[in-house]
Amino acid sequence: MAELVGDWLKGGLGIHLLTIMKALFLIVFLWAVLALSGTAYPGKKLKVNYVLLGWIFCGALFAVLAYQATWQLGGMTRPAFVKFMRTYNRRENAAQQQTLRGALLDRRGLVLAAPQPGSIWGRRYPLGAAAAHPLGYYDFRYGITAVERVCDGTLSGMTQTPEDLAKSILVKRPEQGESVNLTLDSRLQKKAYELLKNRSGAVVVINPRNGELLALVSAPGFDPQHPESAIRDSIRKPAFNRAVQGRYPPGSTFKIVTAGAALNNNSSPTFNCPGGGFVAGKGKKPIRDSEYYSDLRKGRQWKGWGSIDMKEAMIHSSNVYFSQLGAGCTANQMAAVMRDAQIDQELPYLADSSGALASMQGRIPDLESGWNRAQAAIGQGNLLVTPLHVACYTAAVANKGVLYAPQLNLDAQAKKLSQPFTAATAYTLKVMLREVVKKGTGRKAELAGLDLCGKTGTAEVNGGKDHSWFTCFAPFHDPVLVVTVLVENGGYGAEAALPVARELLSEANKLGYFKRTAGGRK
Amino acid sequence: MKEGKGSSLFRLLMLDWLVVALACAMAVYTQFQAQQSLVWKPLLPLAIFSAAIPVTSLWLKMLGWQGDQGFVGAVFLLCGLGLVTQIRLTGFAGDSNVISPLALLPLSAGLLAFLLGASITGGRRGRWLSSAGWGAYFGALGVMALMLVFGRSYRGGIYLPGRINPSELVKPLLVLFMAAFLANRAKAFSETQIGIPTPPFSALVQLVFLWSIPMAGTLLLKDLGLMVILNAILIVMLFAVSRRSGYLALGCVAVTAAGFGVQLISGNAKDRFDVWLHPFADATGKGWQVLQSLSAMYCGGMWGAGIGGGDPKFVPIASSDFVYAALAEEIGFVGCTMLLCVYGILFVRGFRAAGMIKAPFERLLCVGLTSALAVQTVFNIAGVTKALPMTGITLPLISHGGSSLIVTLLVCGLIAGLSDSRK
Repeated sequence: MAELVGDWLKGGLGIHLLTIMKALFLIVFLWAVLALSGTAYPGKKLKVNYVLLGWIFCGALFAVLAYQATWQLGGMTRPAFVKFMRTYNRRENAAQQQTLRGALLDRRGLVLAAPQPGSIWGRRYPLGAAAAHPLGYYDFRYGITAVERVCDGTLSGMTQTPEDLAKSILVKRPEQGESVNLTLDSRLQKKAYELLKNRSGAVVVINPRNGELLALVSAPGFDPQHPESAIRDSIRKPAFNRAVQGRYPPGSTFKIVTAGAALNNNSSPTFNCPGGGFVAGKGKKPIRDSEYYSDLRKGRQWKGWGSIDMKEAMIHSSNVYFSQLGAGCTANQMAAVMRDAQIDQELPYLADSSGALASMQGRIPDLESGWNRAQAAIGQGNLLVTPLHVACYTAAVANKGVLYAPQLNLDAQAKKLSQPFTAATAYTLKVMLREVVKKGTGRKAELAGLDLCGKTGTAEVNGGKDHSWFTCFAPFHDPVLVVTVLVENGGYGAEAALPVARELLSEANKLGYFKRTAGGRK
Repeated sequence: MKEGKGSSLFRLLMLDWLVVALACAMAVYTQFQAQQSLVWKPLLPLAIFSAAIPVTSLWLKMLGWQGDQGFVGAVFLLCGLGLVTQIRLTGFAGDSNVISPLALLPLSAGLLAFLLGASITGGRRGRWLSSAGWGAYFGALGVMALMLVFGRSYRGGIYLPGRINPSELVKPLLVLFMAAFLANRAKAFSETQIGIPTPPFSALVQLVFLWSIPMAGTLLLKDLGLMVILNAILIVMLFAVSRRSGYLALGCVAVTAAGFGVQLISGNAKDRFDVWLHPFADATGKGWQVLQSLSAMYCGGMWGAGIGGGDPKFVPIASSDFVYAALAEEIGFVGCTMLLCVYGILFVRGFRAAGMIKAPFERLLCVGLTSALAVQTVFNIAGVTKALPMTGITLPLISHGGSSLIVTLLVCGLIAGLSDSRK
């Protein structure tokens, strides 16, 4: 008998049977409630009227019921409660009863992070370590970080319109939170990470015309599904997002900004650049060109560039020229362009319902001293920036001097942040940076048909090998991509960072990022 | 006429049975879905409930009872739903899938107690109880003394060996005493000045003295829930005897003040206040229980998981104090609304029945017993939903706990008897 009924239940009716039973139960329950309330009272005459008491207690019951509704039906609007349930609700079927976390998608709709059905804390990251830094992790024990944290409300379906909220209360909770579209291109992100592999460094790829971040890479990476070892590793610091949190001297890449400061003030002087270097202050060591040291190692005497203009100096990345240029600018002229380039600011790059993400702020040294200005002019001294800052001032050059706020959310409006350079300055800088790649320190980066503009950087580090920088954009006429690469302790900019940028640009070219411009040139 | 009414009660009870049977069917079905086997044995208590319906109808008919059928119907519906919840929480959730014969005892005894209660007070036979007022008073004190001597502390309450909690008895006994005490002093307690009750000094001193002894007892027992309930009942009864709403206003202020005051002397009460105000401050410790309770409700949502479809095992003491959370998860917010409607019907009908009674003692007894049920219900549900601090009391007719069910059904029987106000 039991088996017979069992077989019948397993049949087609079984799926909806519980719903039918629930409905039937509630209907009959309602019927009983109505019948009970409708039953006539015995007798007619009331000696004393105690109806007030009845209503007081009924009122109390329904006040409690109303309060209960704020938890039972509106619990999702209480963030502390949602967090509690996510962590401590051990129901086996909770995954069905709770909202499945929304996905993170790249600019083409490819999955960057996806929920794992059947598990509240399960999360799948197809790019793995390559995108661990911008996306962050979502871990039961170690918490929620980066994009996962900032977009938590959206991803877990807590930010709903009133209509959605009403629907989710009445009919069914949303099975899945909203997904968030990011500006990242998973192909560039992955490629950049592979190019950096086994080294420490960062890559930022940004669209200068709207600030969209196409890649935000930090190496070494870590497995976002198992962040514990990365968090504990205090030597390599893999959990540290170097692209936005790391602060470095920008080295020669900062000559872009120094040149901009002078050009904004219509100054483009010619300086004598002797081999002995430039002494910026009494008793200070002379600032020399790198050729002085390379010749010294070869047993030769560097004679200097002689009298050169700004373009020539940029091509050769002459420290002697730019330190003179910086020392020659007023403190205000230098400070103005640095502030407009947001060097002393946090660069915000994502804001959502549960918070915002921004880079570290850079550090501008005291510019009143000529020595400090001369040092800052060549990206040394007390000047510190994040790779995102370098990408942003490069992007400003590429975009007619206008800096757009970096952005990770594909659906966000592009936002103008500031204008560090005048349009004329930006154009002059662009021409110079093109020359750098054509025949200067960046010539190894030249890729056929790309019209790349760029600047190398070699930043001295106390007690370590130099940091290697390369920041560039392409194509010359209508730049669509800015690529900034930092390789920690990589040596000369042209040696470590430049090849990474070149490979990445070549990949972007294959992917068709420069197609329109390339076609136009035919 | 007489016969029509009798069959109407039977119809109501059959409707109750139908609700309960559907709930049981759902429990069997969800159990089948989870285990892929059909289990019938836990349904054994349903047989007792089923048998109780014709027995009750016949017994009341034999008595010539003409009381409030809606009240009896509501009692049976709540009792039946409590039964289903207990079957679901213990029978189906347990490993053995069998209910021990002992577990059937409280329900059987409770249903008999109901009939007994109805027989005692039905047809205005309960007047003699007024002479038992002092006996009831000393009986209540005796029970408290017994608990003080032999009681063991368990989960913040004191129980006798075997986890019997006779404090349930204290409530009806004191109600009986207060009804007898106040019935003779109706005039005295009706005096007011500018709305504020001003009973004569001698009556007030008597009352305060007599009341202070059981209050001291609750303090010694550290049973703050009982203290709150007793005081709330007292206020309602004072209002009922005087019909001066000043007592209600005064009482509400007094209970609130006492609630805040008591946390100063009792660490346990202070903890409960802290949890109420800041549940997330110690989410995995003190806040755990009420937050799990609320999580269960949230998982139930509007329509519920279905009887047996939820996971109330994650709510600590789901079968007694927190039974409402388990129910809310499975019958949903809609089911809860209807459940509270049934409780509302129970209270309104109880108070209405009191209003029909001419004799002051019986009237007060009816008000007192009904308000005992009502206060307990409101405080339990408010505690489980975190609307008020936890008082550690059971939900009448639904919470598990043998002694509680028997006494509650006896009280319900007494009210049902009192509602029979024919001459």
